[in-house]
Amino acid sequence: MTEDSNTGEPDARNRFTSRILRGGTEPDPRFTLANERTFLAWIRTSLALLAGGVAVEAFMAALLGPELRKTIAVLLLVLALVIGGGSFFRWLNVERAMRSKTPLPLPLMAPVLAIGGALVAAIMVVFVIARPA
Amino acid sequence: MAMVVAAAVFLRWLPHHGWFVGTLVGGAIIAALAIYLTQKRRFHKAVRGINQDTMPPNIRSMAAVAASVVILAVLGIYTVLFLPVQP
Repeated sequence: MTEDSNTGEPDARNRFTSRILRGGTEPDPRFTLANERTFLAWIRTSLALLAGGVAVEAFMAALLGPELRKTIAVLLLVLALVIGGGSFFRWLNVERAMRSKTPLPLPLMAPVLAIGGALVAAIMVVFVIARPA
Repeated sequence: MAMVVAAAVFLRWLPHHGWFVGTLVGGAIIAALAIYLTQKRRFHKAVRGINQDTMPPNIRSMAAVAASVVILAVLGIYTVLFLPVQP
């Protein structure tokens, strides 16, 4: 068991965790759990986008042309990829900030999700308006 | 649960893209099963952490969940862009 560099107390974390999250002090476990819940919420969002991308490709063949369908599906799947991967780094950065008692980092994924969602919605609005009745 | 829903939606691709989609369905089911089977252990760890006022973060679990979603998304993009639709 290693020793906490700041407090000198025994470090309950395993070697891998100690290497990734160096220095600082252990935050309140409720904050760690809250950070974990936020991470899981981002993962759920990512999975919803993933399912949305698959659904657009699979269920909208009668409504959308193949190119438009593919574009929307890939856009949703790329969003799912970015949010799924980004959520881990966001969780890690928040954990580091809590350990070192520094301000929490800005959530960069929120504008990415907003812009991506707005883009998909805009494409659909243009399609619905331009589509012949 | 969200992983199982994702796996169920992937099933819709099976007739169009063939066996490759089976790996996506299987991957999502395995990830969901792993999360379900380790749930109790993680819950007890969290309870113990709150009682003792110290809880080391579980980096491996977080990384595994994020990695499984990223892999599913990459395979999904590959399916849309490169796998031909079967008649």
